[in-house]
Amino acid sequence: MKFSYSLIKKFAPGKYSKEELIRAFNTYSFEAVDLGGDVFEIPNTAIAHRFSTGSSHLGVAREAAAIFNVKYIDPTLKKVNFDFKDRGVFKINIKEKDLCLRYSATYVTDVKVGSSPKWLKDVLEACGLRSINNVVDIMNYVMLETGQPLHAFDADKVLGGIIVRRAGAGEDIETIDGNKFKLSEDILVIADEDRPLAIAGIKGGKHSEVSLNTNKLLVESANFEGVGIYKSSVKLGLRTDASVSFSHDLSPEEEVARMKRALMLLKEICGAKIHRTDDIYPKKQPKTAIKFDLEKISRIIGVKIKKIEAQGILAKLGFSFSKNLIIVPALRNDIEIIEDIAEEVARMKNFNELPAIPPSISMIAGREDEIVLIKEKVRKYLTAVGYSEVYNYSFVSEDRTKISPSEVFGIKKPVKLANPLSVDLAFLRNSLAPYLEKNLKDNLRFFNEVRVFEIGKIFGDVVSGGGGSVIEKTILGIAMDGKDAFFELKGLVDGLFADLGLVDWLMPDLDIESDLLRSRESLKIELGDNNVVGYIGILKNSSHGAVLELDLEKISKAVIEEKEYEPLSIFPSIDRDISILVSSDVRVGDVLEIIQTADPEHVDDVDLVDFYQDEKFGDKKSLTFRIVFQANDRTLTDQEVDRELEKIVAFLKDRVGAEVR
Amino acid sequence: MDKNEEIRNEAIKEINNSSDPASLEGIRIKYLGRSGKVTMILRSLAELPLEQKKIMGPKAQALRAELDSIIVEKKKKLLEKKHSALDVTRPGKKIGLGHLHPLSIVEKEIIDIFRSMSFSVIDGGPEVETEHYNFDALNIPENHPAREMHDTFWLSQNLTNNKRQMTNDKEFRKGDISSRQSSVVGGRLLLRTHTSPMQIRYMESHKPPFQIIVPGRVFRYEATDASHEINFNQIECLMVGKDVNLSNFKFIIEEFFSRLFKKSITVRLRPSYFPFVEPGLEYLIQCVKCGGKGCNICKNSGWLEVMGAGMVHPNVLRAGGYDPREYQGFAFGVGPERIAMLKYNIPDIRMFYGGDLRFINQF
Repeated sequence: MKFSYSLIKKFAPGKYSKEELIRAFNTYSFEAVDLGGDVFEIPNTAIAHRFSTGSSHLGVAREAAAIFNVKYIDPTLKKVNFDFKDRGVFKINIKEKDLCLRYSATYVTDVKVGSSPKWLKDVLEACGLRSINNVVDIMNYVMLETGQPLHAFDADKVLGGIIVRRAGAGEDIETIDGNKFKLSEDILVIADEDRPLAIAGIKGGKHSEVSLNTNKLLVESANFEGVGIYKSSVKLGLRTDASVSFSHDLSPEEEVARMKRALMLLKEICGAKIHRTDDIYPKKQPKTAIKFDLEKISRIIGVKIKKIEAQGILAKLGFSFSKNLIIVPALRNDIEIIEDIAEEVARMKNFNELPAIPPSISMIAGREDEIVLIKEKVRKYLTAVGYSEVYNYSFVSEDRTKISPSEVFGIKKPVKLANPLSVDLAFLRNSLAPYLEKNLKDNLRFFNEVRVFEIGKIFGDVVSGGGGSVIEKTILGIAMDGKDAFFELKGLVDGLFADLGLVDWLMPDLDIESDLLRSRESLKIELGDNNVVGYIGILKNSSHGAVLELDLEKISKAVIEEKEYEPLSIFPSIDRDISILVSSDVRVGDVLEIIQTADPEHVDDVDLVDFYQDEKFGDKKSLTFRIVFQANDRTLTDQEVDRELEKIVAFLKDRVGAEVR
Repeated sequence: MDKNEEIRNEAIKEINNSSDPASLEGIRIKYLGRSGKVTMILRSLAELPLEQKKIMGPKAQALRAELDSIIVEKKKKLLEKKHSALDVTRPGKKIGLGHLHPLSIVEKEIIDIFRSMSFSVIDGGPEVETEHYNFDALNIPENHPAREMHDTFWLSQNLTNNKRQMTNDKEFRKGDISSRQSSVVGGRLLLRTHTSPMQIRYMESHKPPFQIIVPGRVFRYEATDASHEINFNQIECLMVGKDVNLSNFKFIIEEFFSRLFKKSITVRLRPSYFPFVEPGLEYLIQCVKCGGKGCNICKNSGWLEVMGAGMVHPNVLRAGGYDPREYQGFAFGVGPERIAMLKYNIPDIRMFYGGDLRFINQF
């Protein structure tokens, strides 16, 4: 809301400049922003709980008076002289006492509608409102001054009296700005015997609008329950200064005093004559009293607060005291508990003047969640071997949810947003791969080879028994485009797993077809028995790109915390190279497995050291393995090694028809 | 000094000074050539008496041999190639070095500072949250304008067996949650708008005292621009004990920023409103660019608004299962994007999510 500095000064006269006032508010009260000239603004977000103090010139002036220790002048305390003893011809009937907490109305005659005096126009303009005519301007001005929304009906257009009721189904209303709204039973209206005259607490109707021909008014000052007004405002898509105020739970306590301020101005400016006010207030707001727990206040702030100091601060803000109780001013219905009191004391003492005191609690050593640690390790390893980290959006298009083999992670259905920003961002990602593929493509315009990774959440819809829930997993995705991409990534998995302390992993064929990966050129990544933790494959829509995804939570569970020392063998090992020719559809993975299953006693390690395919071999390829033999208790003899080698060769001949070269 | 000695010194000096094979050859001829100085001495020996010949002869021969070998050595040196065949001035082989994302770097720095102050680092928790954890338990009532500050992405499916503590709106607004009951109702799912739900989740399963930080991704339904993204990061900080107070918060926050920017940073506190804290405030730090004088980064105010903070609201402690008469604490948030933008002078938040390695490789 916008404020006029000169108007504040009327209610809290003192020797402070506008700049000093704004600085003081930013220190003691709430955010305030200088808008130049006479105007400054207090954003609604800063005062949502202190709407009563922060949304009216009087409330803000009261703060200023407390901060600068100057007099506070409340113009609503002035007495109004009624011109008639009776209430006029109208009756008020509140049908919904839970929704309308108080309703007051005054019948006003002899009104001369015209344009407003300059001072009034100036204040409205400073606060961003347009001048309409003197009657409407007075209503708006009193709202700026006191925070109480007011409304004036053309009394000649009101038939019989005022009824505060729910709208009937099928009823509608044209508001003063000419818009038409269909009403429903959950919306409260101010009606006469004939029709709805206004949407309660939100906006007045066209029918009974004040015009230049008006000379009798029905001035309304009412209070409505916040939740109801908020819901109606959202439902109608109609947000007004009044609806915002009521949504913040205004106090009904000073409603009549505030209307009298408007009546005073109507007399002064429009020459109006005033009947007695009718006021229906079914259930008075109870007084709030809080135990003066000085010890808790001190405990919250962290320094010892003296009673006289706290009392001084609170008294300036309008609080009073009774025995060991703090009595909260009626308008401050945001104050309910001792913590609220502590805030009043702490802020008026100035948060910035608080000492900085190191906490003294019993020593609890910090620790880290496993997943936090594994993320750090992964980042360290991958950047050391040349991979750069990217952050991509959590949102994807529906098309992008269809390409990845997310079933690997138990995700069958992607998660859809109810209110997406755009079609391209309508789903939550169920895989990191689509964006990583895009990262490769985008960066290849500037680099010959691209290596990227991302750590992030993926999401899946789990449908169960008529309802649903969502699973999310922390995934590591890695993608590479360049020479030998697939085998580089495959080697990277080995290196990363070894670095993390995993001991046993397998990469069998991936049996899921997807649009992301080339058919039959992808593998599952498993830890132990069928514990699938990810996949790796060659990208279908790329000439030499590959990608992998790993479930970091599963991996972190499999990590062996402590490595154990194994004695080094004091006996030398013996290396043997063996070259074989096999049919070109025999796979290295199978050959390696056969060498293992030949069950040689002393094989320490087997490595593929050469791979060769040439026309001269026809439909065959040449593989060279280096086999390392080692015994823990002696030096192996050549004869022993030869015997083992023969056993392996025999096995290879038998199983894959290998010829030794 | 005899003449031999004189010639020797003169010759060695000239040899040392020679810088190319041609001038060295000139020197050789001058001394050892057919009419060279040393040759002439040797020739003149024939005219000397035998006695003298016996003394002078070997001396002159030795001089000739010495100069000859010095010249040969020098010639070898002069003919030697200036450089080895391996040109060691070639550039080194490029070792592929990967780069961490700037937000990961900043997050790590922040985590390390808090670690050194004995904070535990907790996994970020679920990004898809329930209304209960994201709003209700944090004292943000439904149908209250306070919720409007959280522009929320909602999921299309509802939970059927979502635990949600229901209170009627009015009581909730009055802060009276004693009548709240846990009941199984259909609640909506959403993308969390802040990391504060982790306050509740952590309190539910841990006993005070403790001090934690929780880094995680959060979401806001809003148009993107240079300073707004639909997904971004927060680090939630929470410390709870019997007497953890506002002055303790001030110590931690000043210590944190001074270490982060490696200089003494003045932190300004301003009263503000967040439903899950009371007292509530926001903290501003002195502009790290201009030191408070005013510049374009701080819009000439000298101050940078960082984030919200305050003492955990008793309703939040209760929702976490604590008795607010016994325990109290502070909570605040840190925004890694904002800090990275300040630290590295990055003008646009959207650069963090573009995956452009020309950007990332600068860090």
